[in-house]
Amino acid sequence: MKKYLEIAKIIFKSQLAWRFDIAVNVLFTIVKIIFAYLIWNNIFTDQQVIAGFTFHSMLSYYIINSFLSQLDMSDSVSNEISSKIRGGTFSKYMVIPVNIQGYFIAQSAGSSVFYLIFNFIAAIVWIFIFRIRFAFTAHPLYIIAALFMMLIGLLFMIQLNYFLGLLTLKFQDIGLFLMIKNNILLFITGSMIPLTLLPGIIVEVMRYLPFYYVTYLPSMLLIGRNGDEMLPGIILLSVWSVIFVIINKFTYQRLRVKYDGVGI
Amino acid sequence: MNIIQTKNLTKTYQRFTKEPGLKESIKSLFKREFVTKTAVADFDITVQEGEFIGLIGPNGAGKTTLVKMLTGIIAPTSGEISVVSYYPNHLENDFKKQYAVVMGQKSQLFFELSAADTFLLFKELYHIPEEEFQKNLDYFVKLFGVSEILDVQVRTLSLGERMKMELIVALLHNPKILFLDEPTIGLDAVAQKQIRKFLKEVNETKGTTIILTSHYMEDIKLLCKRCVVINGGVKLYDGDTDTLFQKYQTHKKITISLEQEEYCSLNQEYTLLEELPYKITLLIRKELSQELLKDVLSRYELSDITIEEEDIGNVVERIYDDKSGVPT
Repeated sequence: MKKYLEIAKIIFKSQLAWRFDIAVNVLFTIVKIIFAYLIWNNIFTDQQVIAGFTFHSMLSYYIINSFLSQLDMSDSVSNEISSKIRGGTFSKYMVIPVNIQGYFIAQSAGSSVFYLIFNFIAAIVWIFIFRIRFAFTAHPLYIIAALFMMLIGLLFMIQLNYFLGLLTLKFQDIGLFLMIKNNILLFITGSMIPLTLLPGIIVEVMRYLPFYYVTYLPSMLLIGRNGDEMLPGIILLSVWSVIFVIINKFTYQRLRVKYDGVGI
Repeated sequence: MNIIQTKNLTKTYQRFTKEPGLKESIKSLFKREFVTKTAVADFDITVQEGEFIGLIGPNGAGKTTLVKMLTGIIAPTSGEISVVSYYPNHLENDFKKQYAVVMGQKSQLFFELSAADTFLLFKELYHIPEEEFQKNLDYFVKLFGVSEILDVQVRTLSLGERMKMELIVALLHNPKILFLDEPTIGLDAVAQKQIRKFLKEVNETKGTTIILTSHYMEDIKLLCKRCVVINGGVKLYDGDTDTLFQKYQTHKKITISLEQEEYCSLNQEYTLLEELPYKITLLIRKELSQELLKDVLSRYELSDITIEEEDIGNVVERIYDDKSGVPT
């Protein structure tokens, strides 16, 4: 376990080397909040409540959701695995005594903790500046469930991206898979709009997919809504994670023999 | 004790082929044609603990494929393989702790951080006890004289300095075998010399078995008592390094640069490699080289002269011809 902690630590340290990146990242969070403020302020000019959201609860949702989305650093997992396999340098992970999936989980954790710290500071500052009446739930169970779900959600996303990265061994190029995944994610995680604004049947279908529980439901729980979906959400997300543990183990064992260690 | 043993080890690859042209591209969309390429064929090798072996051969000879099979990175197509009594491609963590591999372009260092940060990571990855870690680190740092650059960001290090750090990372856990793929590639003469000295010392004092692949004859000559020549995936020679070079490295490559624009006319028998008005590059039998030099010095005004060992390709070709009964 200690070795995975050290992997997370070294990734965290690597991020700190890029000062400009840190500054841009903080700025990016700020810009997102400003845009959200301007757009929703305009929309809420004529109405007080939209789909059960007030202006401040909508902004709170947006801030929490984009904050959680930015914590998900798993995208880099599929990209890194893919580029390393294509470049013939994936072997650097194969020759060290670690579980490769564990290595990437630790690597993503290191990145996520880094963004957690800086985005959290940025978000707090901007909530204060814009005087947003932050609609954060006071219900401890909601908070615990949301944090737990967020954790399994991030783990699931790493597993999904690890799986997609491994597909490079079979398909050599996974650009198409990544594009499909990213578009689905953007929609299903509620990063574009709260899912309650969508037709009921679509939301119902999404409830059986893991993405719904990655950032959307934790965001809703943190603003004190959708409490009835808490337990089914945790169970469903856990089941998806276990399924991917098995799929990934099988995929790696099966596809790694195709690796020839030369660039594609 | 045999630390590495292979028998009839073979690795083949399937390669996609396609004739040029649009029609062929469309055809290949429906039906793909593959050819089988044999990278390593029926390869037998036995390595004793503590040996320093050189693996030599031209590009595409199968050296790197062999190293990849020995480290478990790729699975053999057929044959037997045992490294420290493990089947490498099972990739067990206990097996990975027995060896280290340094491949020219595949760095284990984190470029944004100092090498010391990577050392700490490897301490945990290999569960190296604190005392052993410190002892090994001190030993290697002193041996390489790199104490001044331990805390410097890796991306700002020179190629030679980076390779030294790469070797330290690889050796921190006291591996039984060290696989080196072209460790001196791209390095200047001074760095090459330092790395050679380091490897020799590690082999002698720590008893680490070292398998070295290199294009540089100097590396092999100075470090390896035994060498294995491989070409087309087939083992051509396995034996004493000195004998190999005495028997098969029969020529010297000489480049003569003249002060004035003129063509050299030499009396000795040689193979012309390049001829320009100011310069001539040739290959000559070793025993004739002294005579040629005397001749050139007495008759021409020279601006420069270089004498090199001939390329690995010529040596391999000569061994191959020798084995096939072709007169050299």
